[in-house]
Amino acid sequence: MTRTKALAVALMAPAVVVVILVLVVPLLVGFATAVRDPELRVALPRTAELLRAWDGRGVPEEPVFAALAQEVRAAEGAQALGALSRRLNFERSGMRGLLLRTARAELVAPYSMALPAVDARWGEPATWTMLRRASLGVTPLYLLRSVDLDVAADGSVVAQPEEEAVFVKLFRRTLVIALEVTITTLLVAYPAAYAMARLPGAWARLATVLVLVPFWVSIMVRTTAWFILLQREGPVNALLLALQVVDHPLQLIFTRVAVILAMVHVLLPFAILPMLGVMKRIDPRLARASASLGATQWQHFLRVYLPLSLPGVGAGGLMIFMLAMGFYITPALVGGTGDQMVSTFITEYTTATLNWGMAAALAVLLLAMTAAVVGLAVLLVPRLRARTA
Amino acid sequence: MFARRLLCSALIATGLAAAAPADARDLMVVGFGGGFQDNARKHLFQGYARASGAAVKDDVYNGEMAKIVSMVKARDVTWDVVMVEAPELVRGCEDGTFEKLNWNVIDRNKFVGGGTVACGAGAVGWGVTLFYDQKRIADGPKSYAELWDTKKFPGKRSFRYTPKTTLEIALMADGVPFHDVYKVLATKAGQDRAFTALDRIKGDIVWWRSGAQPLQFVASGEVAYAVGFVGRTARAAGEGAAYPLLWPTLLYSFDYWAVVKGSPNTAEAMKLINYMTEPAPLLALAQDWAVSPATKAVADDPAVRARNPGMVANHAEVGLSISTEFWVEYGEDLEKRFNAWAAR
Repeated sequence: MTRTKALAVALMAPAVVVVILVLVVPLLVGFATAVRDPELRVALPRTAELLRAWDGRGVPEEPVFAALAQEVRAAEGAQALGALSRRLNFERSGMRGLLLRTARAELVAPYSMALPAVDARWGEPATWTMLRRASLGVTPLYLLRSVDLDVAADGSVVAQPEEEAVFVKLFRRTLVIALEVTITTLLVAYPAAYAMARLPGAWARLATVLVLVPFWVSIMVRTTAWFILLQREGPVNALLLALQVVDHPLQLIFTRVAVILAMVHVLLPFAILPMLGVMKRIDPRLARASASLGATQWQHFLRVYLPLSLPGVGAGGLMIFMLAMGFYITPALVGGTGDQMVSTFITEYTTATLNWGMAAALAVLLLAMTAAVVGLAVLLVPRLRARTA
Repeated sequence: MFARRLLCSALIATGLAAAAPADARDLMVVGFGGGFQDNARKHLFQGYARASGAAVKDDVYNGEMAKIVSMVKARDVTWDVVMVEAPELVRGCEDGTFEKLNWNVIDRNKFVGGGTVACGAGAVGWGVTLFYDQKRIADGPKSYAELWDTKKFPGKRSFRYTPKTTLEIALMADGVPFHDVYKVLATKAGQDRAFTALDRIKGDIVWWRSGAQPLQFVASGEVAYAVGFVGRTARAAGEGAAYPLLWPTLLYSFDYWAVVKGSPNTAEAMKLINYMTEPAPLLALAQDWAVSPATKAVADDPAVRARNPGMVANHAEVGLSISTEFWVEYGEDLEKRFNAWAAR
C-alpha cells in the first residue's frame, strides 16, 4: 500500500466507522428485530425442536405434549414465561391465560390427554400449528400486522378485523401530514429566504442569526409554546375575541391545524437555509441582463430567478419531508388522537406495550415509505437528480 | 486493513467499557412523582437513609415498563426499587423483570389483604375520580352517565391514555352497575359496548399521560372535565382550587414496591421496602399527605382516616376496585384494540 493511499484510508476510517455504527448497524438490527421470533426457542427449547421436526398435520405426538408441559412449568418457575406469553398473545388473544393455566396445572402422563383436559385448545390443531410457526425463528407476523394483515390458523394471509385495522390509515395520514407540512413550509420559507438574500451585509447576518436561534431551543419547548399560544384561554383566542373576529373561543389546540402550524415553525430553518444558500449564489447582474432584454420584473422572476433557485427549494423540501415523516413530539402535544402519526405508535410499542417486533416493523415500513417518496421525487424532478448526483 | 484494525480496537474499547464493573452506587427509588413522592422522600426514603446510613436517591417515571425491561436485558440496572401498578407488576414478575421479594426481610403479616404478591409489597392505594373547576362550571356532571351527556355538559373531557380505567368508566357511563363491570368487560359484546360508548364522546376526549396533565388542562380551562389522580386533585383543592371530589366516580387500586431484577443492591432494597411499609414512617407521612397505605396498622388507624377524608380507603365501598386479575389476563388484547381505536 502506498503512503498516500494509506493516508486516505486513515482519513476516511473515522467517517466509515461512524456510518457503520450509527447507520448500518442500527438499520440491520431494526430489520432483524422486525422478523426475529426467538421467544419460543428461548423459553421452551426442546418443545421448539420437536415442533420443527413435526409434519404439522393434526396434533403432534405424545413427546411434544410432554416436552411442552414440563418446559412451560419450569419456565414459569424461573420467571421466564413472560416474553413467550406476550409473543403468543400478540398472535392470538387468550394465549397468555392458556400458558399460565397450563403452567400451574397438576399434570400426569399421558400429557396428550392431560393438556386438552386443562384447556380444550390443546386438542385443536390450530394451536399446535401456531406454535410450530413460532418455533421457526423468523416470522412475517410483525410486518404483516403493520399493513393490517394477519396469519390465519391454516397459515394463509388474511385481512385483520376492521376494529384492529389501523396501520394503513395511519401510514396514509402520516404521508398526508408530511406533504402538507412540506408544502406549507416551502411557501412560507421561499419569500423569507428571498428577502434575506437581498438584505445588505449586517442585516443579512442578523436575519441569519434570527433563523438559527430557534435551533438552540428544543423542539419540546417550541411545541409547548404553541400549546400556550393556541389554548382556549390563550393569547390567540384572546386577541380574536378582543378584535371581535369571533364571539366564542375557537378550538385551536388538539387540531390538525395546530399540528401543521407547530411543525412548520419547527422545520422552517431547514427550508430557509438551503434556499438562502442557493439564492445568494444567483448573480444579481442577471436581473439587469434580463431587464435590458426587455423582461418585466415578474418575467425575470418566473423565467430566471425561480428556475435558478429551485435546487434550494428541492433540497429544503426533501429535508423537511424526511424530518416530518418521523415527527412524534409535536403531534403528541398539540394534536388530537386523529392527528397522531406512525412514530406515536412506534413509541407506544417501544415504551408501553414492549412489543419491539411491531416497533421495528413499523419503523422499517416508515423508512421504506420515506425512501420511496424521496426516490420518486428525485426521479421525477430532473433538477434534484442533477443536484444529488 | 487500517480501517478494520481501527474498527477492531473501537469494538474492543466499547467491550472493555461495558465489561467494567458497575461502581457501588446509592440506592435508587423510582416512583410516579407528584406530592406523594415529595413527602415520601422526606419520611420514607430519607427516613431509611437516616436509620440505616445508606444513601438513597429518587427519580420519577410515568410507569413505562420499557425502561425497566431494557435495563434488565442490558444487565445495567440503575434503578433498585420502583413503584409499579398492579397488572404491570404481575406481568413483570412472570417476565423476570422484578425480583421475588424476600419475605424473611419484609414482614408479610403487616399488610392488608391483597397487599402483597410474589414480586411486590403494597405501597399505597391510589384512585382516580372525575373533577372539574367549579369557578367555571358551577353545576357539572355528578356521574359518568352525566359526563357522557355532551349537550348538557359541553366541553372537552380528559382521560388517561390507557384502556385500564377508561373502559370501566365507559361501561359505567353506559349504565353498567360497578359490581358487574368486569363481568361485562370480559365478554366480546361487553368490550364492543365500552368502545361504542367511547365513540359517542370521542371528538371531545383529550388524553393525558402524566399525572400532572389533567390538573393543568382543567386549571387552564382547556378541558372542562377530567378524570385524574385523587391525591393530586385533593391537594389542589386543599390549596384553593374549587375541585369537588366526586367519590362515587372513584376507581382505585394499589401501587406496589418492587425490586428490579439484577439490581446490585437487592439486599439493601429489601430492607428499604420493609422500612417503607412500617407503621411509624407511614404514620409520619400520613401527617403531611393523604395516603392510603397497604399496611394494616396504618390503613385501619381511625386517627389517620379521620385526618385524611381524601383517603381512598375511606371511600372504597362507593368506588370500583380496579381488577388486577382482569387486566393481567385481558390487558394486552385491550391495549391493542384501544390503541387502534384511539388512532382512528
